[in-house]
Amino acid sequence: MLKSNPGLALCILIALAAVCFALFSGEPYYVQVVIWVFANAVLAVTLRFVLLIGELNIATAAFFGIGAYTTAVASTILDWSFFASLLAAPIIAGLISALFGWVTLRTKGPYFLLISFAFTEIVRLLYTKSDVLGGNSGMIGMFPPMELDAYFPAIAITLLAAIMFGLYAAERSNLGRVFKAIKNNEDIPRSVGLNVIGLKILCLVIASTAVGLAGGVNAYTNSVIAPADFTYFVAVLALAYVKIGGEGHIIGPIIGATILTLAGQLLHSFGPYENIFYGIIIIGVLLLVPGGIVGLGERFKAGTFIGRAGR
Amino acid sequence: MELQVQLLMNTLQIGSVYVLFALGLTLIFGVMKIVNFAHGTFFTAAALVVSSVMIWSVDTLGMPIWFSYLIAFVLALLVVCIIGFVVYVFGFQYVLKDLNGSFILSIGLLLLLNGTYLILYGGVPRSIPAVIPGNITILGASLTIQRLVLMIVATIITLGLYILVHRTKLGLSLRAVAEDQEAAMLQGIPYRRVALYGFLIGATLAACAGALMATVTPVTTVIGDDFLVKAFIIIIIGGLGSVLGAILGGLLIALIESFGGYYFDPSTATLVMFVLVVVLLIVRPQGILGHAEK
Repeated sequence: MLKSNPGLALCILIALAAVCFALFSGEPYYVQVVIWVFANAVLAVTLRFVLLIGELNIATAAFFGIGAYTTAVASTILDWSFFASLLAAPIIAGLISALFGWVTLRTKGPYFLLISFAFTEIVRLLYTKSDVLGGNSGMIGMFPPMELDAYFPAIAITLLAAIMFGLYAAERSNLGRVFKAIKNNEDIPRSVGLNVIGLKILCLVIASTAVGLAGGVNAYTNSVIAPADFTYFVAVLALAYVKIGGEGHIIGPIIGATILTLAGQLLHSFGPYENIFYGIIIIGVLLLVPGGIVGLGERFKAGTFIGRAGR
Repeated sequence: MELQVQLLMNTLQIGSVYVLFALGLTLIFGVMKIVNFAHGTFFTAAALVVSSVMIWSVDTLGMPIWFSYLIAFVLALLVVCIIGFVVYVFGFQYVLKDLNGSFILSIGLLLLLNGTYLILYGGVPRSIPAVIPGNITILGASLTIQRLVLMIVATIITLGLYILVHRTKLGLSLRAVAEDQEAAMLQGIPYRRVALYGFLIGATLAACAGALMATVTPVTTVIGDDFLVKAFIIIIIGGLGSVLGAILGGLLIALIESFGGYYFDPSTATLVMFVLVVVLLIVRPQGILGHAEK
């Protein structure tokens, strides 16, 4: 649908508009919401990036948290500069994910799903038990330097948008095609001499580096982080964004994240009903609109728009 | 010596419930090739039914406690079977053998059901009165009779499942479908019906675990979720789809939790479990008793 260049141009325009909005709008709350939309979109896009090799990576949530905690430690304990502490986040997240991938990507499918789930919960447990990291209450006091304070929302949005454009470029490159080939049948890339495990680890590292940077931005955006912000549920919501937007194209998760984040803001005061709402949306979309919004658009374009239950 | 016996008793008691819970999960995986993240909600539903029915019937109707518990137990299994049937017919049968689809569906169910429980039951933990009061001393270790009975009942249910899977015709169909669905269908096994039975048996096992745990721990609406992460570790260790693996894995995890939790602390024990999983994945990715994936 948006595969041609006009779509990309439109996205760049929207990103620029968001940056301008952050620079010139006098409404801090709405700027905050825009940053949340971009951050959630990055989570969904990175989750989908590992789906390119066919693996559902719950540890997206863990690497988001690792990025946030890295920046928090660098900023508040080590007193690093703003940009150095932001840069540390993707590096540390990428390194840990390389190790994690080296061990776990020997498995696939349900085993990888479960192990990434367990990893996420155990990393969170480690935060709660660490006194340096503030235990259950987490860490506070990540502020951008005074002279950059007014520009911080614009910087955050620029970085988050850059991550998404970067991942889009990676997907469109030959590397992205190899990732999709691995998903289809990993024996074929292996038969032409490609190191499939190495490529899978590379895919995971690219996604984790990206989400680690988003985590670092998140630490500065919220100024407060706690272990409860990085449960497996972060990845679950990201998956909901992917599914609702449609995983056929990178714009899908972005649309899904935008809709659900805005809906979530409206529903915030409904307590348990909020979760019920998400639950019904997720089940309904899965069963009634399997391709998500992007899939719906493509079917509409192809003239085969028929509502269909099940798969 | 007394201490070790005490810890061993703890191991067996926690382990027997872990085994029941993980067995259901592994059975559903074997037959349907899906991971049911909503498995904890079956556990929770049973525990909630038991505590609601018992508090109501003992306080209001003045029934004897043991009789009230029996009724509550049966009702809990019934309610969970109905929930299981509904979610299978309206959801899971469309995502058979679809790992990502079933994950999303079960997460949606988890949100929906947990939210519903919270509205119906409220957030306050409730304890039920002791069904069988009294203590017993075994080799110097003290144990409430209630926990001993819980252990015995859980063991009987586990044995019953083992016999069902390995000695009956239904068990044969379950195993055949788990081994190779298409070959099983060629032999005339109705796959969709067998998958439904497998799912309901799995849900019932979780319900048994929940109804038993309700007697020894306060009931909340998220009681089942705590079991989920450990059950995942258990079935990774034991091998997805392996009945014997789930039993061994459940006991091993309970052993680490009980002894590690005493000599170090609970979070160290959880870390040890994770390290164990990592080492196992490097040496034997398909679990102790799992089959290699094709």
